[in-house]
Order: sequence, then C-alpha cells, then structure tokens
Amino acid sequence: MMPATPQWWRVDPLEPFQLGPRLIPGRIWTASGCFAYGLTGHEMTAPGFASPFAGLGAVVTKTVTPAARAGNPMPRLVETPCGALNSIGLENVGLDAFIRDVMPELEKRGVPFVASIAATCPEQFGEMARALQETGGGLRHWHGLELNLSCPNVAEGGHDFGKDPHTVAACVRAAREQVTDRALLAKLTPNVGDIAALAVAASGAGVDAVSAVNTFVGLEVDLATGEPILPRRFGGYSGPAILPLALAKVDEIVRKAGVPVVGVGGIATAEDALKFFALGAVAVQVGTAQMRDPFSAATIARRLHEIYLGNKRG
Amino acid sequence: MAAPGLPRPCRCEGVVTGNEPLGPGLLRLSVRLPLEPGFVPGQFAMLNLPAGRAWTFGRPLSILDWLAGEVSFLYRVVGRGTGELAGLKPGAAVTFLGPLGTPFPLDLGGRKAVLVAGGVGLPPLFAWRKQRPQDVAAAYFGARDQEDAPWPLLDSGWRVGLEDLGPSARGGARQGLVTDLLEEDFPADGTRDDCTVLACGPWPMLEAVHRQARRRGWPCWLSLEEHMGCGYGACKGCVVPVADGPDAWRPATCCQDGPVFDAAHLAWPQLERT
Repeated sequence: MMPATPQWWRVDPLEPFQLGPRLIPGRIWTASGCFAYGLTGHEMTAPGFASPFAGLGAVVTKTVTPAARAGNPMPRLVETPCGALNSIGLENVGLDAFIRDVMPELEKRGVPFVASIAATCPEQFGEMARALQETGGGLRHWHGLELNLSCPNVAEGGHDFGKDPHTVAACVRAAREQVTDRALLAKLTPNVGDIAALAVAASGAGVDAVSAVNTFVGLEVDLATGEPILPRRFGGYSGPAILPLALAKVDEIVRKAGVPVVGVGGIATAEDALKFFALGAVAVQVGTAQMRDPFSAATIARRLHEIYLGNKRG
Repeated sequence: MAAPGLPRPCRCEGVVTGNEPLGPGLLRLSVRLPLEPGFVPGQFAMLNLPAGRAWTFGRPLSILDWLAGEVSFLYRVVGRGTGELAGLKPGAAVTFLGPLGTPFPLDLGGRKAVLVAGGVGLPPLFAWRKQRPQDVAAAYFGARDQEDAPWPLLDSGWRVGLEDLGPSARGGARQGLVTDLLEEDFPADGTRDDCTVLACGPWPMLEAVHRQARRRGWPCWLSLEEHMGCGYGACKGCVVPVADGPDAWRPATCCQDGPVFDAAHLAWPQLERT
C-alpha cells in the first residue's frame, strides 16, 4: 500500500530559509564525508536531472583538520544488510589546502556549501574558524560552518571529546567568536545518554543549529578469523538501519533543547526526510544514500518540492 | 571529475537481457540501457538492485563490452551481492552508474601492448584488445583450472596458463602461470624493449608482472581491486597508496584516481605492507 500523501507538508525545500545570520538556499543537504568536497560528480547525468547538485541547499564538505590526514588503513567500509560501518579516519587535505584549493573552486562552480571542521581543543576550533572567515568571508556560496564534535574514527578520541557538554560549549564559543555572519552548527554524537544536554550546551554557546546525528558506534566480526573486520575494531554505523534511532535523538533534542535541528541519519527517500521535518527539523542531510547514488539528495529535494506543490494546489 | 576525453557517467535504470554462466560460479551479465555514453577499457560501473531492494553500496563490475545499447560484465559469485546478481533473470531491473574510474591508456605512444589478465580480471583487457587489436604484442590469460576460465571469451589470440591443467588441455592451455608464459615469449635480454604491460588480476600476479616489466624496462599499468563504497570518489572508502615525493606517499582513491594506475606511481613499500 502506498503511504498517504503528507498533506501537512507546506514548505518548499527549494526555497531559501533563514538559519541564524544566514539565508540558506534550501533544506536538503548532503552530509559531511558522503559527497567529498562537493567537487566530485559534477559531470554526471541522469534522466531528468541536470546534475547531482540540482536542488541541493548545501553540501556539507568532508571534515578538514588543521593538518592533512592520511586516514585509516583498509578496509575502511563494511556493508551490513541495512547499513554500513565506516572507519575512514578523517582522511582529508587539511585546512590550508581546503581554503586555498577547495573553497575557491566551490565558489566558482556555485556550489552552496557548509564547511566542516574538526580539531582537538576549543582553541584550535577558534583558529580554524578564524582562518576560514579571513579567506572565505567574501564568498557568496559559503553558508555555514559545521563543527564535527563527534568523529568516532580517530585516535584522539573525538567521541569522548564531543560527549562533554562543557567542552562542546567551549568549542562552539571559540568558533562563534570568529564566525558571525555564517550559520554555525555543531554535529553531535548520538553515543551518549543525554544528547539534549549537548544540544543545550551548544545552543547556550551560540550555535544556530545542531546537526543530529553522527554515526553510531558499531562493530562487525569476520567469522573466518574471529576478529573485527575493521583494523580499529569499531566503526561508525550509518544507513537506513539508524533512521529510527536518529529520529529518536532528534525528537529528544527538539523537545528538550529548543534549538533548531538539522536532521541526519538513515535518510534514503523523501518520506524518510519528511519524518525529520515532522519532528521539527529545519533541514536534513543525506549521507550514506548519497554514496550509493549521487542523485539521492537531488531526488529527495525534487520529490519534496512536488509534494509541496501538490499540497499548495490542493 | 572525469578526466577530459572520458565519457560522462550516467545513472539510469537498466534491464537485464542475459545472465549466462560461462563456468561454475562465473557469469556474463548483459544489461540494456537507455543511454550509451560509451567507455574506455578499464572503466567500471556500479550496479545495484532497484530502490527498496538495493544494497547499501553498489557492486563495482569492470565493463567487458558495450554494443548497441547493451553493456556486459564478467563476474564471479563471491558474496551476497554477486550471489543475488547471479539470480537475476532477463527482464529484471538494475540500476547503473557508469562508466566510472580512470581507464587503461589507449595510446601507448607507438609501443606494443602485452596484456596480462587473471581470472575475472579479464574484462578490461578483453575490451582493450577488441578496441586496439593492431597494437597487441601478446595477450595472456591465467586461471586456477579449466573451470575457472571463461572459455567463450578466449579466442585463439589468448595464451592461456592454468595452475592445474587437469587431464585434457583445452584451447591450447598450458600448465603454469601467465608470468611463465610471458617469460618464455619475452626473454629479459633486451631484444624487446618496445612493449607496455597492461594487467588486471589477483595481487600476486600483478606484483609478479610488475617485476617482469621492470626487468625489461617496460612501462606497466595495473588495474587494482579494492572494496568500494560509492565508486565515484565521494566516500574515500577505497584507498591505494601512491608515491608523493621520494619517501612520502598519499592515499588515492581506487575508484576515481584508479582503478588503473601507472605502476611507477604506486607507493610499493606501503602496498606490500598491506
């Protein structure tokens, strides 16, 4: 049976919306780490689409750190029946190369983007934010800054770091001091007992929204060897399997923290996205589904736009 | 970005037109597509089942041939995905994303190609030979045994080496590794210095072929295999170490920077460690 058309949906996902100090071009984004730096896939075609970027509100770029990182050894991915474990280990080009090479190219191509950064202490977040602001302040297509407070795959223990509300607040404050005219987001780990407390802390320190959620810690065993498949044992679990888990976390934040939420976790269809909007999310990010199909987010944006138009006429 | 001159990848729905066994656990899948961007040998496609039944990630399959709107692949059943692929009947729908990746060079600058294929590593070299027959000095195919070889694809132009020849030699097959055959045909005495090796197959074969190419002073291009996530450079899930200065290396994506690499650009100490 086809699900009933959600007649309550009255928002055009292709319409710009205000998030803190910034007007964001649309509500369907791609999640960090799932669409590289927003420079891949431009040449791709699909029936009915000009490009995989059609209708995207923002690409959240792959997280960069102060220095380039080679990332974790292979294997880095494990597919499960309804999702995937990843242990990429924040492989990235580093902040300098991002500012020098990536940001101007995104600007040139007109890709709306939210930069994602990770650091090991609040001061470092502040320095990175300042560097971005100094060079990128004049860019039209740079819309926001997402603080990755929750990568599970690095030795420095991003998770523990992002689990403490005081540290989260300190990181947000340091970035907010530097970046005042772009949307500031904190991406939260779901691997805590009280995610709303993290959201409250981030909100009090000045974020415009929290992105919820990052991946869940998971592990898969190779039965042939009896050992974990991933060299670092644990990975970040994502994909359709985590949709209800992510929805529960978002609901908790919306009800207890009162801060705008960008929903992320397990979205593969327009209906999945609508569930986050139903709970009060202001935008959503498409992650693992974008890895399967570069047109996933564009397809979701189009479908939600059609539903919006249908309800408007009706 | 696809390099200049490469066809633009497309994502579209396709219909299975054939899925016939070429040996035990070895199949040729043919898919009819509404678009025909073409491909360069060495490129691959990500295949998946339609929405609702799709795997988290597509399955990367090297393109064997592309004729009149029909693209074909050779694959071996090794796991859940390929097992489900093997169950697809003509008329079944699949999703296609391709062609993807950096292919083998077609222009060898006047040199002749020595093609070396192992097992299901045959498709890119099969396609290369079909597109550039006049530039092939020799073509080798190696497999474990007779059942491991896709005989309908191996005409007399392929010299076949089998690790276990079995009681009756088929198609002129010889007992031994492809590298033995290459050693026999091209002694490392400097008489043939005008060749380039193009190879795809299991890692020990690629390592051995690379050593042979070095001894002969031949350029060498290798198609590598890694577990892939997205297939188009988005997730950084399939990395290969490439040289980045004298003692340094950096991760390259197998799906986008590869799967074909100039062997001289690979970071061999890191590769051998893994």
